[in-house]
Amino acid sequence: MEDLGLKIFGAILTTIMAFAVGMTYGGIVRKLTARVQNRFGPPFYQNFLDLVKLQSKKTNIAHGFMGHTAPVWIIIASITVLMFIPILNGNLWFPNLNFHGDLIFILYMMVFGSLGMALGAGQTGNPNSAIGVTRGLSMMVGYEIPFVLALVALMVQYHTTSIQDLMQIQHESGTWLIFSNPFAFLAALFASLGMFRYSPFDIVGAPAELASGPMSEFGGKYLGTMMTGGSIFSFIKLTLYVDLFLGGAGNPDHIGIWATLAGIGVLLIKTFTLYMVPVFYGWVSPRYRTEQAIRYFWGWPTALGIIGLIWAVY
Amino acid sequence: MNLFFIILLILFSSAILAFISNRIVRGSSGIIAFIGITAASILFFTQLSIGSTYSFSLGGIQMQFGLNSFTYLFAIIVLGLGVMASLYSIQYMKGKERLGYFYFNFVLTILGMVGIIFSQDFITFFIFWEIMTWSSYLIVIYNGYSVSKVGIKYMIFSALGAYAMLTAIVSIKGIYGSFMIKDAMAAGAFNFTDHLYIPILLLIGFAVKAALMPLHVWAPKAYSMSPMSFTAVFSGAMSKMGILGMGLVLASIYSHASPEDSVNSLILKQVLGWLGGITAVMATIYALIQTDAKKLLAYSSIAQLGYIVVGLSTGTQLGVMAALFLAVVHAIFKGTLFMAAGAVEKQAGTTDMTKVSGLIRKMPFTFFASLISIIALAGVPPLGGFVGKWMLYESLITESDSYFLVIVIFFSSTAAFLYSYRFLFGLFLGQEEKETEHVKEAPLTMVIPMTILALLLIVTGLYPGILFEPIAHGMEYLGYSNVNWDMSVLNNIWGEQTNMSYIFTSIGVVFVVVILFISLKGYKGTRNVGTKEISTSGEIPLEHENLTYQLDYYKPFERAAAPLYKRSMNKIWNDIGNALEAVFNFTRRIYTGNGQTYALFVIIFLVILLIFKDSLFAN
Repeated sequence: MEDLGLKIFGAILTTIMAFAVGMTYGGIVRKLTARVQNRFGPPFYQNFLDLVKLQSKKTNIAHGFMGHTAPVWIIIASITVLMFIPILNGNLWFPNLNFHGDLIFILYMMVFGSLGMALGAGQTGNPNSAIGVTRGLSMMVGYEIPFVLALVALMVQYHTTSIQDLMQIQHESGTWLIFSNPFAFLAALFASLGMFRYSPFDIVGAPAELASGPMSEFGGKYLGTMMTGGSIFSFIKLTLYVDLFLGGAGNPDHIGIWATLAGIGVLLIKTFTLYMVPVFYGWVSPRYRTEQAIRYFWGWPTALGIIGLIWAVY
Repeated sequence: MNLFFIILLILFSSAILAFISNRIVRGSSGIIAFIGITAASILFFTQLSIGSTYSFSLGGIQMQFGLNSFTYLFAIIVLGLGVMASLYSIQYMKGKERLGYFYFNFVLTILGMVGIIFSQDFITFFIFWEIMTWSSYLIVIYNGYSVSKVGIKYMIFSALGAYAMLTAIVSIKGIYGSFMIKDAMAAGAFNFTDHLYIPILLLIGFAVKAALMPLHVWAPKAYSMSPMSFTAVFSGAMSKMGILGMGLVLASIYSHASPEDSVNSLILKQVLGWLGGITAVMATIYALIQTDAKKLLAYSSIAQLGYIVVGLSTGTQLGVMAALFLAVVHAIFKGTLFMAAGAVEKQAGTTDMTKVSGLIRKMPFTFFASLISIIALAGVPPLGGFVGKWMLYESLITESDSYFLVIVIFFSSTAAFLYSYRFLFGLFLGQEEKETEHVKEAPLTMVIPMTILALLLIVTGLYPGILFEPIAHGMEYLGYSNVNWDMSVLNNIWGEQTNMSYIFTSIGVVFVVVILFISLKGYKGTRNVGTKEISTSGEIPLEHENLTYQLDYYKPFERAAAPLYKRSMNKIWNDIGNALEAVFNFTRRIYTGNGQTYALFVIIFLVILLIFKDSLFAN
């Protein structure tokens, strides 16, 4: 029973950390983007202020059942995936159910939130939301192809479908998978551009074009909850990439309090570096049209993924 | 009298009764059909035990009825879905013409499928196969003259398949001297070493029913133009008869394969797998450009059957298990979806998604059933569809060499999200229009079967073991040994696993916490609005202005995938048809129908005979 209590405490702790990191990263990017565009920009903790404001609104507009539950779907997807992804390698402070759900499950579970979001946006009846959703789903067919090619390459190369095992392999061999299968990493990196939806792939929200797309009808507690889920989710995506390609963080041989803190530090450095790739790419790119975005992912990223898969097989 | 005969007799007599009773009491045939099918199912599941057989001879040919654990799995699909669909049908068909005709054929189709499940020899198998084909053909053309062309297409392809099957059956008898399916399996009749054409002909026969490319062209229209209560059975259960046959043939190839067979069966694996994969992709991309919900579902059925064929083609334990699991789950969710489309058609008058939208508040139960089924169809955790997809991917990645097939399948199932969303959005979400204001929830007897099936999908997600048990027994019948399964844990051969109970716990806990939070927080300040109160960027839309977004729904995707859309199997078959017509026109020059010409032929024949008299009759 004591064990279970510790696990629940760990789960809550993980969620809070993921939430805080995701929110802070978002804030930092807002600030940096502003500086690049020669604006002053909000402080890095602006996202937290926004969240407090949204959650303390006195009136909220509910758009029927699906609209009401859409934020719930997003949180479910975020927290469930978070529970099944190893945050630190072999650390007891963070619960890790990865043994009970492998990569294929993670891949499908990540869609759960988008589906709920899409359904909620659909019920509002706003045509902009519907257009945003169709764009998002279409683009997903684009970037999932190189992403899956990269993942299948890893799975085939190391004969495992578990993230935990892939991390262990990297820990034991001392080589990150980014070096043992660079093509797969590149394919996945290109796919991440679409996943994070910064320019030129910001066709879903599309500021100044679709209002804010699927989000346009949500406000108050709904938008606040979605923001929470979204922040956790962006942390998950980054952690997944770090676990798969950049060796993960943490050392299973040292699980003391200082080693844990050091592990978190390493994780933050790696995730932030990775996060800057789509952000930098976005700063210098105008927006694609949807079909251009899809074609983009079916071009070089897919070719790289295929090379990566062939590399893995032979 | 034997139990097999009693069950068939119950079905047959209720078919006849349904036909007659409509003349006496209008609308009573639906109830009779439901009672007949239910009675047969109750008898089947309570009285009949697996392994029992009954032999008899007819016209000097030894025939046998029996039930084995493999066909038992399909009996669950056929009878389960049959009961649900016939219950649903009572209200759905209410007020339509020629009910006697419809129900006669409906029950007869079920009878045909039950007969196929019972038959242990090829003769009865073929007879019931034809009963099933003919009665379903008669329902396809139920909607009148406009669908007669659809019916003809269905009939032509079915006939093609039937002839292929018949040739194979006769060859098996000629070579191995027995009509028994079990004997043929044991003798290795389906193996590739001796008689290559037998398994290929049989597979062609089954592939027609399973709507495998390139023999699928009849399916989209035949599925979408039949009455929906029948399509639920047509797509859900009848297509699985093709899978049943394929399973019998393929599994016995793989489990009895000799070493010299391996090259051939490797080619077969690749060919079948890729056919299934391409079927899935092409059907998916065609599904997502449909504007009619029924047609969308029809194409999606073909795509899902493609996955099942891919699973069967791997021939490994996990792959076949995935295929059979998907077969059952597909029957459940596609049955539900066709029923939901039928409910919308009944209540709103049409399933054209450019005309109907925003039904969620009017038909909440239908929406709930559709939502659950769509989640299962898309393979999103934690429902039954995910379990099947997971096993399919794992078997392809861990046990076969066709890694690129994984990508093809993944492409198709990601694109499936597009049409899944389209279906829900098109019918239930979006703007609520004036035209659909009068729409009400479907009658209770239509809602109940949909809800039961939707709940089944949740159960199969949490406890897939319920289905694994009959599947594992069925696979042991086919020759696999030591089939592993757990109640709610999925395993692959590399030792990784996915535990459905952990997933359910995680999702359930978060769901309860967050839904309580979001519902209770600021409960009084939450205002519920309709679909007209939306942000329009400062402009105020006028009364007549249309805010519905339904036309050209996935135009960007269509543009991006334009090269794929250029391929159409229909075109190729039309070309083949035209070429055949040219050949027939040529034969018409010989068989002119004119007596004088035939007389001339006789004379020419005699002349030839006289000229070559010596060389022909030399001795």
